[in-house]
Amino acid sequence: MEFQDLMSQVQQQAEDAILAAQDLDTLEELRVKYLGRNGILRQQYKQIGSLPEEDRPLAGQALNKASNSLKKLFEGRKSALSEQAEQHKLQAEAIDVTLPGRTPQVGHQHPLLATLDEMIEIFLGLGFVVAEGPEVEDYYHSFEALNYPEYHPAMDEQDTFYVSDDVLLRSQTSTVQIRTMAKQKPPVRIIAPGRCYRRDTVDATHCHTFYQLEGLLVDEDITFADLKGTLEIFAHSMYGERCHVRFRPDFFPFTEPSAEIALTCTLCGGEGCRICSDSGYLEVGGSGQVDPNVLAGVGYDTEKYTGYAFGVGVERFAMLRHGIDDIRLFYSGDMRFLEQF
Amino acid sequence: MRVPYSWLMEYLKADLEPQELAQVLTMGGLEVEEIIDFRSEDGEFADTVLVTSVTSNRGDLLSMTGTARHAAALLGAEWKMPEIDMGLLGDPVSGQTEAANDQMRIELANPKACPRYSGLVMDELTVAESPDWLAYRLEAAGMRPLANLVDCTNYVMLELGQPLHGFDYNLLQDGHIIVRSATEGEQMLTLDQQWRTLGEQDLLIADAAGPAAIAGIMGGADTEMTWDTTKVLLESAHFDATTIRKTSLRIGLSSEANYRFERIVDPQGTLRALARVAGLLLETCGGTIVGEAVDVCAPDLTPLRVPLRVEKCNKILGTQIPAQQMQAHLTALGFEVEADGPDKFQVTVPGFRPDVEREIDLVEEVAIVHGYENIPSTVPGKLTQSGQLTRNQKLERRARQALRAAGLNETISYSMISRRDLDRMGYPQDAPERNMLPLASPVSEEETHMRTTLLPSLLEAAEHNQRQRVSSVRLYEIANVFYPRGQDELPEERLHAASLIMGPYWSSTWNLPEDTQSPDFYIIKGIVEQLIAALGVEGVSYQAAEHPSLHPGQCAAVILDDKQIGVIGELSREVQAEYDLEEPAYLFELELEPLMQQASQYAEYEHLPRYPAALRDIAVVLDDTPENTAGALGQVVMEAGGEYLSEVAVFDVFEDAEKLGEGKKQLAFNLTFRTPEGTLTDEQVDDLVAAIVSHLRKKLGAELRS
Repeated sequence: MEFQDLMSQVQQQAEDAILAAQDLDTLEELRVKYLGRNGILRQQYKQIGSLPEEDRPLAGQALNKASNSLKKLFEGRKSALSEQAEQHKLQAEAIDVTLPGRTPQVGHQHPLLATLDEMIEIFLGLGFVVAEGPEVEDYYHSFEALNYPEYHPAMDEQDTFYVSDDVLLRSQTSTVQIRTMAKQKPPVRIIAPGRCYRRDTVDATHCHTFYQLEGLLVDEDITFADLKGTLEIFAHSMYGERCHVRFRPDFFPFTEPSAEIALTCTLCGGEGCRICSDSGYLEVGGSGQVDPNVLAGVGYDTEKYTGYAFGVGVERFAMLRHGIDDIRLFYSGDMRFLEQF
Repeated sequence: MRVPYSWLMEYLKADLEPQELAQVLTMGGLEVEEIIDFRSEDGEFADTVLVTSVTSNRGDLLSMTGTARHAAALLGAEWKMPEIDMGLLGDPVSGQTEAANDQMRIELANPKACPRYSGLVMDELTVAESPDWLAYRLEAAGMRPLANLVDCTNYVMLELGQPLHGFDYNLLQDGHIIVRSATEGEQMLTLDQQWRTLGEQDLLIADAAGPAAIAGIMGGADTEMTWDTTKVLLESAHFDATTIRKTSLRIGLSSEANYRFERIVDPQGTLRALARVAGLLLETCGGTIVGEAVDVCAPDLTPLRVPLRVEKCNKILGTQIPAQQMQAHLTALGFEVEADGPDKFQVTVPGFRPDVEREIDLVEEVAIVHGYENIPSTVPGKLTQSGQLTRNQKLERRARQALRAAGLNETISYSMISRRDLDRMGYPQDAPERNMLPLASPVSEEETHMRTTLLPSLLEAAEHNQRQRVSSVRLYEIANVFYPRGQDELPEERLHAASLIMGPYWSSTWNLPEDTQSPDFYIIKGIVEQLIAALGVEGVSYQAAEHPSLHPGQCAAVILDDKQIGVIGELSREVQAEYDLEEPAYLFELELEPLMQQASQYAEYEHLPRYPAALRDIAVVLDDTPENTAGALGQVVMEAGGEYLSEVAVFDVFEDAEKLGEGKKQLAFNLTFRTPEGTLTDEQVDDLVAAIVSHLRKKLGAELRS
């Protein structure tokens, strides 16, 4: 057989074998067999010397060409098989992505305190500083200084927990008004968040423990219109521009004029529903211009200074914000509840 | 108060539906809580009833005419009083403390508590059921019709707001009425057949024989009007609100009458009410009026005059209401307004508005009629400070964040607990936590005292969660606890942080070995360390300690400046059993104030080291005695390591009698050496380690483990 023919035959066999190889090990074996140090092609080179002089260049060329072509084919096949192997490996590593993730354990903020914090942030933005006072209070700061006549039916609404005649659990954060003004000359611009207590029997909508946020601004020329404007900004920040704040006359001994604060019912948007007793509004607190008796009691000049005060219940806001329908949950310590927020 | 619409509209000239009227009243300070479609028990009469909620300063709105007057002012409409024939009273005999005619003698022994008492005697009355129109109105207003005599007095009270009382004249001794204070321990049987014991602070209507009524609250059974009554003495009086309220609260008795007296009834209205009821009785019971009325009236009931400055009023409200309009608003409410210069009024306050005493009260009246919704909204101009939290509030937020980052959920629990909670937790009788502030009138047996520790609340939460089959409980609370000081002194309020973990602590997940999930002492301690680090407090140490609720071998005191500020530990077996907890629970409670005092507001930057550190590990074996703690060992190592030793960290604790010998333990540390001056050579570090090892041997008898 002619050298060239033999070459073609070898090349053909090699090509078939390379293309048939299904894994990298087989391929490597073939490479050694054909292109290795003692491979078939190397042996063919050795045979060139035994050919007639004139045939050698051609045979050499043919051999080089075959060698190059096979090398290229090997490389191609190798990269194809490598990729295939990589694919198999990745496939083997595939997991069930629908199994639950491993979440780092992070604690949750209590919805009541989270709501309170949000309310506080709004008033911080309006220049109010946060003041505090004791939860167990005396009669003076709770009632006398707030212009409650000693035997007045208004006391019924407070339903106070007493420790003794003079010591009691505060029934509203308004006590902080007096404590702050006693220490500070106007201007006074404070909010006072905190725990309050009233002798309510606990059910889905009542609790003897509750949180309030009190606000007080005393300065020259503070008007009832300013009170309205401030609480409107607050309501809009909490619930958006469409929330309307309704002010209507009410009575609190420490404010005059006094106003009840109600907001558009967030559930029905003001249409009227079960939650708002068809009124379209939800009462959230009380407010008014600080009564001159209160200002005079802390030594302020009532001709020079006027002010407003307001107090809103935090539970209501938290319940509306999260759709919570039972006030007792706030104090339950129930993990199933706490982890939802 | 229940206001039947058709009754009200008898006095109010306005054309509007009950719902519209309710809206106007609500926005005008008289909230209509409910609108009821009323039908009488016999089904013959229907009406719409507005249920109003009258604020405690507005006694004048506890009547149909008062409601009509207020509604008229809000609507700008007309209203009228019912027709009353004052002539029925004849020419009343009057006096300042005493007056009499041939039927009755009225004596005011305590004019401060009863400044006015008007009486009238009627005879030949026929007691029967009330006519339908009267009975239906009472029923619609929520009062049960009884008989014409008593129904008429109730009707006039509802119509005019003046409570009336009728005595059976023949049961009164000599028609002699003495309004006096009770004597200490004086007793009487009231209409409801209850014996009442009275004292000097209580006001009585008496005759010569004894008490006939508790003034302004309830009549006596002895002088009660009955179906056989033919002759009555009618009382229309004015009583001091405080006196009535004190008695009502003290004896726990409340009626429609005292409800009104406590909210102050118009002292000018006694005779009018008397004439009105006389007219109604003539109409419904027949009979005759015997003689003229007797009216005993203290002299100081002249109406108050209050100035109102127009500019001041507008300045308080932030409005520009013209003077004329202010005048109109006040006049509509029944005030008499006279100009006093161009910018000022003198306002005479009618007797039915005793709540109005000052200029600011008039400002409110102007605002109410003007309509709160018509007052503009503005933003207070002068900003003199930026809003901010106090230092402690910021630190509290930081503490809350650190505890949440440790995987704990924030909880809130009641501030009140009971002695039983401390019993359950095993506190001995002399524990300082037992000295709690007691509530005078608690709402339940479980909440009788202000808590001195947050732990009982957390244990209760653990109990609750276990009952709900919640396996992993991780809670913290930051709240005040209360320590009593002297009698009538406010207690000390201390801010505490406390936590409880029970069940799997790490992320609840699949295919993780269970033992890596369980909490232990070191996890709860780690949380405390993380909290303290977050507050930037240094120098806190931990010592083995005891606590009545905690495992005696797994309890540490948290020490700052040689003072214990808290406790960490595993719940003792006894308390765990008491609360029926299936899993061990780990708790801590800390006082936050001492930590806050030393907290750093900002972390101070430390320059990053320029030269690499040299790291070495050593393991030593020593006797397993209570003194040979990891803490003690660490301290000895730090002493020996000097300034070049920057860190010591335990990485292994090993106890094995076979390998180490009985009563021995092995502790292994990572040591980190560095100096800002350069890189330490191996020889330098070897010398340092050798010094440490020799020091450990000398101080603790610890041997290097090769």
